[in-house]
Amino acid sequence: MASPLLEVKGLSVSYGDVRALTDVSLEVEEGTIVALVGSNGAGKSTLLKAIAGLLHASNGEVIFAEHSLSNLSTKHRVDRGIVLVPEGRRLFQTLTVQENLRLGAYLPKARANFSESLERVFGLFPVLRERAGGRAGLLSGGEQQMLAIGRAVMAQPRLVMIDEASLGLSPILTRTIFNLIVALNQQGTTVLVVEQNVHMALKVCHKAYVMKTGQIVLSGTGEELLANADVRKAYVGERGSKL
Amino acid sequence: MSYFLQVVINGILLGSMYGIAAAGLSLIFGTMRIIFLAQGSVIVFFAFVVYFLFAKAGIDPYLCLLIIVPFAFLVGLGLFYALFQKATALEDKNVSLLIAVGLMYLIENALLKAFSASPRGLNISYASAVLVVGSIRIAYVPLGLLGLALASAAVVFVFLRRTRVGTAVRAAAEDMEATTLQGINSVWVCAISFAVGVGLAGVAGVGMSTVYSFDYSFGFTFALKALIALTLGGLGNVFGALAGGLILGIIENLTAFYISADWIEAVSYGIFVLVLIFLPQGLFGKRGLVKKV
Amino acid sequence: MKSADVPTTGGLAYRPRRAGLGRRNLSWLGVAVIAILFFTTLPFYYSVANGQLGILFFLVFIYGIVAQGWNLVAGYTGQISLGQNAFFGLGAFTTGLLWFWNITHTGYWFDPVLMILSLLAPALLAVLVGLPLLTRLRGDYFAFGTLGLGMIIQVLFLNGGNVTGGSQGKLLIQVMPKGVTFDLRTHYYVALLVAIIATAVVYILTTSRVGLALKAIREDEVSAASHGVNVLKYKILAFAVAAALAGLAGSIYTYYMLHPMPMNVFNTDWLFIPIIMVVLGGTGTLIGPWIGALVVEFIAWYGEKYFPGWHPVILGVIMIVVMLFLPSGLTGMGENARHLFFRRGSRAR
Repeated sequence: MASPLLEVKGLSVSYGDVRALTDVSLEVEEGTIVALVGSNGAGKSTLLKAIAGLLHASNGEVIFAEHSLSNLSTKHRVDRGIVLVPEGRRLFQTLTVQENLRLGAYLPKARANFSESLERVFGLFPVLRERAGGRAGLLSGGEQQMLAIGRAVMAQPRLVMIDEASLGLSPILTRTIFNLIVALNQQGTTVLVVEQNVHMALKVCHKAYVMKTGQIVLSGTGEELLANADVRKAYVGERGSKL
Repeated sequence: MSYFLQVVINGILLGSMYGIAAAGLSLIFGTMRIIFLAQGSVIVFFAFVVYFLFAKAGIDPYLCLLIIVPFAFLVGLGLFYALFQKATALEDKNVSLLIAVGLMYLIENALLKAFSASPRGLNISYASAVLVVGSIRIAYVPLGLLGLALASAAVVFVFLRRTRVGTAVRAAAEDMEATTLQGINSVWVCAISFAVGVGLAGVAGVGMSTVYSFDYSFGFTFALKALIALTLGGLGNVFGALAGGLILGIIENLTAFYISADWIEAVSYGIFVLVLIFLPQGLFGKRGLVKKV
Repeated sequence: MKSADVPTTGGLAYRPRRAGLGRRNLSWLGVAVIAILFFTTLPFYYSVANGQLGILFFLVFIYGIVAQGWNLVAGYTGQISLGQNAFFGLGAFTTGLLWFWNITHTGYWFDPVLMILSLLAPALLAVLVGLPLLTRLRGDYFAFGTLGLGMIIQVLFLNGGNVTGGSQGKLLIQVMPKGVTFDLRTHYYVALLVAIIATAVVYILTTSRVGLALKAIREDEVSAASHGVNVLKYKILAFAVAAALAGLAGSIYTYYMLHPMPMNVFNTDWLFIPIIMVVLGGTGTLIGPWIGALVVEFIAWYGEKYFPGWHPVILGVIMIVVMLFLPSGLTGMGENARHLFFRRGSRAR
């Protein structure tokens, strides 16, 4: 059986003396969508940032495509194929849509396939093609989220990590974004999502992990967790509303 | 009226150098979030280099640009990696600020030691050539300053807007962390910005050598003028900084002719403090960069 | 969106917290006592009035007082001020002009009224200027504002015509009046006394609740504010005290030089040298500025003798090297080495 694309083993991260992550382990199989859910402050964003190389881990290991990522900078991780779409999107507001996408394909390998990737992104998010010359800051919330994901796709990643894709979006837009994430996945890209909208996340994912105060407390397939009484009570309201 | 116009034009010409220096400061600030106070001393350093190129090798100062600009760029890279690389990553910007202060003190005194306190000026053969438009007389050499400023502006524009690296610099100035997430090396982006900033200092050095009789102590006051220009123009906008320099030049010249040359400094610094207090984002700048969060 | 990051260590004045008086603090106290004894008794076995060391130490004290003030603002509060030379010069001129116009008649040398006024004027200016600057500007822009202030004051005094003596300054005494002698020993002792007082003032401030507030502001201003610390009040306080100390030093200097000149007393040397002293000796410590003052002044003095013109260059290099490798200065070396090299932080490099 092929080893997982991404393996996190016993990862611990501290901010000074404060433990943010304690002994976190998870696996992401290639070609799947994995969801990471939990309440605020559970450490989900911290975990993504650590995998992306923005944060230094005090313990543990991150293995991607059977190679350890220890001591590799973010730049090298992107080069290997892991890209993070950060919380709040962090688009370059004063740059145009096109420039944002261009920056996504900054590294040499991605740059060589720039036109291909651009077509792929426009294929997934047609509205971006129309707005290509406009400033990113002028896009609507949903469009901005699409651009953020598109920018990551420009790097030709094997794994895209998306932190809070539904932030600030209406339920309809959230559904649109998640459909797009599924479409992206069906093109072969592995996706790891951190989500507040637990119901949505559990519906589309293949596997999910639940985090609480810096640790993984539960894992299983999407259906299993949706059926889990504790999960329902803690995170999923009557009609799958947000936390 | 034409007298007034003459004063204003001369002010624009002299202010060009403040503008170039300020543009350099703006670029450096964009990515490194520090004001490189040693900019003035670096400019004087390059002015000395031009002086020697001219005096010993007879190279026309404008030709010196071909040597100075790449040299300045390399010096900038060197200074960054030697002095600022580690400090830029720190949260505490005071460290970088003090390194810049130390560098300014060092350069100034090294120049004093090496070249003594006697002022240097270039004896350019065409220095007295004058362009006459109506009743306005403009000497060619100061006009050259404006030329330098416009050329610099054009180059910086092309760099920032039309090159890949320049786009990365603009992105980094807006959001460094997000830039890192695209796989772009943030240290290197800072290095490039710094180097271009020092390159602009080289251009200003060439300009300074053509119009001033300069000595080692020019650096400090020039750095302050560049800072005032930057503040006037507004942080976060490289071309605003350039404009700020021109405006400062006009103000200074108007002060010199309608009040007295002794009061130039007081007016300039006074405006500086007033702008800081009442209009911190300057005329063209982005809000939120100078003010407290 | 700001990630929950903690300031990386290795900054300017990182000090691991220490509860109460540890053994280390007592040893510094011992050093201080010995130093005070040494300097107080020096004139008894060394001719301060005639020897070089007298002037040297006098300058050490003067510079050190200014440095101690800067230390309070920058080292303890984390605000870089670039205006100490303005306050120094203002104090110098206050003493000079008031003496010249014979305003008070409470004594000839070291008139206490003049000296107190010389520390009040800069303090007042600090409050007036500090209020608008500190409320609106970020850290480094506050620094530039103070720099601008320094330049304005210098220009004002330069253009003061007959009032301030213009660029010539005010020559206070042409000839010693009958019955008055100039003895360097007096100046030496006054400077030493003020140096001790200055250090004591800073000590009292920093070990009191005020000091706690200052350190809180340095570490995390927002957090301090949310805990009820009146950030503005304490910043202004530190800034004003630093200004007062600088002004006082300026006053003593005028009594020594007897000729306050703008180019002299507003000189940027009074700005940079104290900063180099504090940076070298150790920001945020009481004894740091004095160690720095001794080292820097010795370098300057003997440098001038044997390698004229080189010592400023050396000092500049020292400043840069210290900021690069030892940002907490010499006194911070022991405490910080552990933290710099064995950091358990989370910020990826």
